[in-house]
Amino acid sequence: MSVAVVLLALLGSVWLLAVVEGWTTTGRLRLTAPLLSGVAHLGRESIVPRTPDRLFFEAAPVLLLVVAVLAAAVLPLAPTLVIADMATGALFVNAALAYVLVALIMAGWGPNGAYAMIGGWRFLGQLIAYAMLIVMPITGVAMRAESLVTTVIVNSQDSVWNIVYQPLGLVLFIIAAMALAFRAPFDLPVAGGELGGGVDAEYTGVRLAVLRLARLTLVVTLALATTVFYLGGWHGPLLPPWAWSLIKTLAVAVSMLLAGRYLPRIREADLMRWCWTLGIPLALLNIIVVGILVLVVP
Amino acid sequence: MYAQAFFVAVFGLAAIGFGVWVFRTSSMVRSALALLFSQTAVGCMFLAMQTEFLGVLQIMMMATEMSIMAIFMVMFMMDPGGMGGMDMTHQKRFSIGAGVVAAGVAIAVAVLADWAPVSAEAPAAAMQTRELGRELLGRSMMIFETAGITILTAMIAATAAAIPVQTPAHSDEKENPE
Repeated sequence: MSVAVVLLALLGSVWLLAVVEGWTTTGRLRLTAPLLSGVAHLGRESIVPRTPDRLFFEAAPVLLLVVAVLAAAVLPLAPTLVIADMATGALFVNAALAYVLVALIMAGWGPNGAYAMIGGWRFLGQLIAYAMLIVMPITGVAMRAESLVTTVIVNSQDSVWNIVYQPLGLVLFIIAAMALAFRAPFDLPVAGGELGGGVDAEYTGVRLAVLRLARLTLVVTLALATTVFYLGGWHGPLLPPWAWSLIKTLAVAVSMLLAGRYLPRIREADLMRWCWTLGIPLALLNIIVVGILVLVVP
Repeated sequence: MYAQAFFVAVFGLAAIGFGVWVFRTSSMVRSALALLFSQTAVGCMFLAMQTEFLGVLQIMMMATEMSIMAIFMVMFMMDPGGMGGMDMTHQKRFSIGAGVVAAGVAIAVAVLADWAPVSAEAPAAAMQTRELGRELLGRSMMIFETAGITILTAMIAATAAAIPVQTPAHSDEKENPE
């Protein structure tokens, strides 16, 4: 039952996000646009480039979608509405999302195209920048909850949400999450106008439809992770718990899209430098502050 | 119990299968990712054996490590895509001999070792994580810290060695082209 409900919620959120994305890019609010666009992709010819690594080319979009859904499987929408309430939930989110990199390397290498390959390897460099900024803020969250179980993490924010308790962690996590989801301004692996689509470049038809669905699912999953780790999860007045989770998740996801529209694309070297010289020291500071708060505040 | 043994066996065979694939392909990326999936299968074996934290950790760490290894293999091999028909193996007889001996030793240890009785009930996953944390911050702290510092030193040394040395003569040439 939980599986069906969570998958439906994910799909609904992806649809809403696609509507908003269309709205911000075209200026028209069309509720049926994502559906029509999906059907159009299915109808188009699905071209396979010359001498591809067929296995990687076919597997990459599916792998990206699977890891986004797997990461969402351990994130609760309500106290009992979670597919798998694992004892290592917060770590599992990381483990699943690490395979985004594998999927993008496959998508870059598979089609045997220069732009795609540069895009794929670029994401590897991007990972070196953002990876610690995903893990270290989650460490702060787990320290406060004294658990890696995601439902316990939400319950630990019963009185004060982590957005107040560790705002620095939230800022670092959201930046890293946007880099992980390769949304603008961190869309270096796809980089339209510079890499001609990068890892997306050689995909058409049904494969491109799966790739786009996977990218939006990834954004929703990361927004849900932000909600669970920092925004008190299902906590909120009046409305039922699942509704609060969805509202917060969509708000975070839309904020990510909007932020991307108003920021210029960052250079790979700058991203790496800022993440390592500023991001990681700040993440360490966050862990120290949380450690002191956990020990001092009752 | 039988289901557990079944899944351990399935993931074990998958790990061996992917391991064999590492050496059967000529593509460096395929080889690196086959090794990744072999290690992921080992992580799944940990999960099947109810050691949740170690399993998830193994699955997480390998994704990044093997992908980084892939780019180094692509950079340093002369035929990274495996499409040039180069034979990249060498010392075949020696490696077959070493492989057979190592496999024999591993099987002998597995069969002849006196394994302690199988614990009927594994501790809860959260308890295992807690115990592991205490182990890492207690008795095993020295070993892990030593290993960590050694790896960090090797990384810094490798990076330092990889940066091209700019001799004063070269920099002079750049500044004064005459």
